[in-house]
Amino acid sequence: MNTDIKGRAHLLGDEINTDLNCSSKYLPGKDDAHVAQRAYEQVAPGFASRFKSGDVIVAGKSFGIDSSREQAVHIMRMMGAAAIVAPSFGRQFFRNAINNGLPVIECDIAGIVDGDEITVDLVVGKVAVAARNINRSVGVLPPAVQRILSEGGLIAFLQKHPDWKLA
Amino acid sequence: MGYTIAEKILAAHAGGKPVRAGDVVVASVDFAMVHDARAGNALRMIQKLGVKNLPFAAKTAFVLDHYSPPPTIEAANVHRDMRAFADAHGAVLYDVGDGICHQVMPEGGHLTCGDLIVGTDTHSVTYGAFNAFATGVEGTDLSAVMMTGKLWFRVPETIRIELKGRLQPGVWAKDITLSMLGKFGAEGANYRAIEYAGPAVSAMEIDDRMTLSNHAAELGAKAALLEADHKTFAWLKAHKAREPKPVKADSDARYAERIDIDASALAPQVARNHNIDDVIGVPEVEGQKINFALIGTCTNGRLDDIRQAAAILKGRRVAKGVRMIVTPASREVYLDAAREGLIEALTRAGASVEAAGCGTCVSITGHLIMGDGDVAISSANRNFKGRLGNAKSEIWIGSAATVAASALTGKITDPREVAGGKWTARSTKEAA
Repeated sequence: MNTDIKGRAHLLGDEINTDLNCSSKYLPGKDDAHVAQRAYEQVAPGFASRFKSGDVIVAGKSFGIDSSREQAVHIMRMMGAAAIVAPSFGRQFFRNAINNGLPVIECDIAGIVDGDEITVDLVVGKVAVAARNINRSVGVLPPAVQRILSEGGLIAFLQKHPDWKLA
Repeated sequence: MGYTIAEKILAAHAGGKPVRAGDVVVASVDFAMVHDARAGNALRMIQKLGVKNLPFAAKTAFVLDHYSPPPTIEAANVHRDMRAFADAHGAVLYDVGDGICHQVMPEGGHLTCGDLIVGTDTHSVTYGAFNAFATGVEGTDLSAVMMTGKLWFRVPETIRIELKGRLQPGVWAKDITLSMLGKFGAEGANYRAIEYAGPAVSAMEIDDRMTLSNHAAELGAKAALLEADHKTFAWLKAHKAREPKPVKADSDARYAERIDIDASALAPQVARNHNIDDVIGVPEVEGQKINFALIGTCTNGRLDDIRQAAAILKGRRVAKGVRMIVTPASREVYLDAAREGLIEALTRAGASVEAAGCGTCVSITGHLIMGDGDVAISSANRNFKGRLGNAKSEIWIGSAATVAASALTGKITDPREVAGGKWTARSTKEAA
């Protein structure tokens, strides 16, 4: 897990359903690479082509609501997303992101503009956009979750710690 | 400050030390469930890791219900792989026609009061009706549980909902949840657990309590917990469940919110197409034409649902032009309904009764596809555009009683206004 994240912010709206916008649920037989090139096209045209590895998704409330396939997180990792910042997440999406080593940060996104350089410090619990004097404290993820993230996801964590010992 | 049911169950499974909402715990799971629409992901992961020994497999149910029957070779191959995997690792298998995961899990005696249960389906919250903390997870979670018997959980905040009074005859748990969806919106309880309590819950039979917990998935709830009583214990005993360890909330538990609802004032409700939270009282939309009537699914495909449908349709006939399908939630429900003569009554009334499975809910098997402009009234839980195979069709959602009354007239109809529509689960038992 990169605890000190710095990248361009790419904005998405409220209640983005990842099944619809970032999975092959409605593209039967298409693989992750195919979806990664078109992710969020319906809600933010050109999103995937602008997105660079290390960038940050900044989304509105309830990001990833509804059934939320795990595949969406695989695709976002393939795109190189360093983190997702949103006021709230769909419950299952939140689990999927942690389980696949993608940091998710609950934070007010007001004032953040598409293309801003955004920094996220997971250890201290801070989201900042220096150019706009935005400096917000956020809850620090519990140690257990930080550990799963730092190992790269739940399965990688369990391969190292098959007994779930967090120390 | 006391503790909620969710806090107590998670604490008991995470070593016993008290936990509070917001804490993250690693907890031992009592039983797990994976169904055919999500099994591929989990099995691939376990195979990729080359894990040979799965100590938790014997406590995992593999349920072949979504592709029931399989509409494609790919789906048939998923079933073939699940059967082989279950056989090799000693998992509990429920094959095509055995029933919907959320019905066969409790019927199979796989859960009891105080348990921690996970399943690869959002409606796994159904088991909360038996005072178990049960929640939906994904493939990675499920593979972790099968390998270690444990999983991480964020302890949820809880909303306490007191259902005052008593439902009128002809009004059901489904109507309560629909009215809440109208008020609080889909995902109105996202991240949080719900505790349902009060005299209206005590008066409900187990089938209706399962609807109450099940449909909380549409509110976004992480769990939907009821306290246990003599009805719960009797049901679990009859299904050979493990010894119950009932868990009650403390009277001074810390809740995110407390909501009181007067159940006695409620009329039957329907959700309009295509949003489950666009809800309106049946009396306000009476006369809306329908030409499909569907009873089934994990929300309302149980014996009391079929009994109420038969109470309305016995000796009568569905309206001309209406196609009615009844899909019992499980083989056990099907057999009980057959024994009571309900299958015959509904078949004579013009319904097709299908083998148990998820086919009435989602057009995944391909055997239920609506035409352009067709309008369904369904006892399912979701009415997304295109859910029944055609974005140009409409799905309205209501109780099994509302569906049966509407099938009879061909228009959305208040069950209380047709003969048999005021049937209640309790009254048949008193009559028996």
